[in-house]
Amino acid sequence: MSSGSLLHVSGLSAGYGPIEVLHQIDFTVGEGEIVVILGANGAGKTTTMRALSGMIGRQGTVEYAGNDISGAKPDAILRAGISQVPQGRGTFTDLTVDDNLRAGGYTVKGSIDDDLERWYAQFPRLSERRDQKAGSLSGGEQQMLAVARAMMPKPKLLLCDEPSLGLAPLITQELFKVLGSLRDEHGMSLLIVEQNAGMSLAIADRAYVLETGNVVATGTGAELLADDTIKEAYLGVVN
Amino acid sequence: MSLFIERMVNGLADGSIYALLALALVVVFRSTGQLNFAQGEIGTFGAFVVSTLTLSGLPVWLSILLAMGVGFVVSAGVERVVVRPIEHRNPGAVIVALIGVFLAVNQLVSMIWGIDARPLPSIFPDEADSFVTVFGAPVRIARLGTIGVLIVVLVLLWLLFTKTKLGLAMRAVANNQDSSNLVGIRVGTVLLFGWGLAGAIGVLAAALLAPSAGLSGTLMLGPFLLASVAAVLGGLDSPIGAVVGGLLIGVTEAFIVGYVDFLGADMLFPVMLVILLAVLLLRPSGLFGSERVERV
Repeated sequence: MSSGSLLHVSGLSAGYGPIEVLHQIDFTVGEGEIVVILGANGAGKTTTMRALSGMIGRQGTVEYAGNDISGAKPDAILRAGISQVPQGRGTFTDLTVDDNLRAGGYTVKGSIDDDLERWYAQFPRLSERRDQKAGSLSGGEQQMLAVARAMMPKPKLLLCDEPSLGLAPLITQELFKVLGSLRDEHGMSLLIVEQNAGMSLAIADRAYVLETGNVVATGTGAELLADDTIKEAYLGVVN
Repeated sequence: MSLFIERMVNGLADGSIYALLALALVVVFRSTGQLNFAQGEIGTFGAFVVSTLTLSGLPVWLSILLAMGVGFVVSAGVERVVVRPIEHRNPGAVIVALIGVFLAVNQLVSMIWGIDARPLPSIFPDEADSFVTVFGAPVRIARLGTIGVLIVVLVLLWLLFTKTKLGLAMRAVANNQDSSNLVGIRVGTVLLFGWGLAGAIGVLAAALLAPSAGLSGTLMLGPFLLASVAAVLGGLDSPIGAVVGGLLIGVTEAFIVGYVDFLGADMLFPVMLVILLAVLLLRPSGLFGSERVERV
């Protein structure tokens, strides 16, 4: 797998100040693959994402498309082709939907009008609300906006930090359909951290299980969905 | 009636100075969440630079532009050297540090240029007969010019914030620094620019005020206090609020001094504070400030 992988992470440790949250974890994301990292609260999911996007200090090696980006800053990582949908959506609530997307295209040289229209076509609800402040959107609409914003810089790898957080099941379903279509129709690779095992594993090619900062299990989405311990811990199914 | 119009225009002209200074305060507050206590003194410093440059023979308008550049660099320097290193460790201490900068710049000005007041030429015709008649009232051209400068600055700022990528980045950083980082905006550079911009605007305000008020080390003390009141009155995160607040205070000042004999100029600050308190009791976030509702 590692030779064909787009993102190759080995021995990644990260934390906040003196507290280490992630302990030397390894994982890969292949080209055109959706990889899910499953974990409960406090497992280190957000820490993984923030370490990958250069928002917090980290140790270990992060290789992307054959280049070592272990020490790169957020804007360099974004320019390399890795974009992130942050936890809690992180939309610019005081800015209009349109300005949110334009801010998403901040690193793109030249006109971004065509890209804007492409994402408006994909998300008609956002198009209808393009002059509305993002803060006035519903949770589901804001999550779609956060995804569209992250796609504006034309990344090859999208990092999604718990996209289902706070969303109703039907909206979550719609969202994972969109995420799946990014792989199927746009050839994207996705790394999704989640605690919603059911919906995320259903679209995952492969998945890792993260517990207190360590990878404790790995397999294909289907394998993990069928695993009794996973069912019990993340799906609330007791056998 | 003619006296009323004259007082109105004078109030709007003084108000334009407060509005410019309040705008500078708001630009910094929106991005950094700090009230820049050194704002007025950086303006005074810049006005003395204008004085030195004009004495060396440069035209006044060019001297002001160059001094605005100096104000930009000094104010950006304060952000980089004083505010940023302290903010990470103790956000509350920044305000004390800024009061320190206020004192330091104030001292620096009197060390370099002495304590005697000096005249500063105006960019507008400023002879004894430089009047125009507005609705029958004689109005000094310099007064109208000051109001005109405010309008030009407002148009330029509006263009910057709504039509440029840098302006979009500034609004994004003011709203959410974390997400700004994630979309590839260099937040530190944007903050630096915002402080620099505020410094330049502060110098412009001081250079407009000095010809009529007299250039001295205490030039901006009163105006800074009134501009702070204007900014809080309008809502600390609202540029429109800063302008409305500044003009409102300028006009109120002119009318109190002109019409309310028993209060007069001495009671100006207490009256302003009463107005401010009354507004804040009714609208805690100011006239135009956004009421932040955090969803948990």
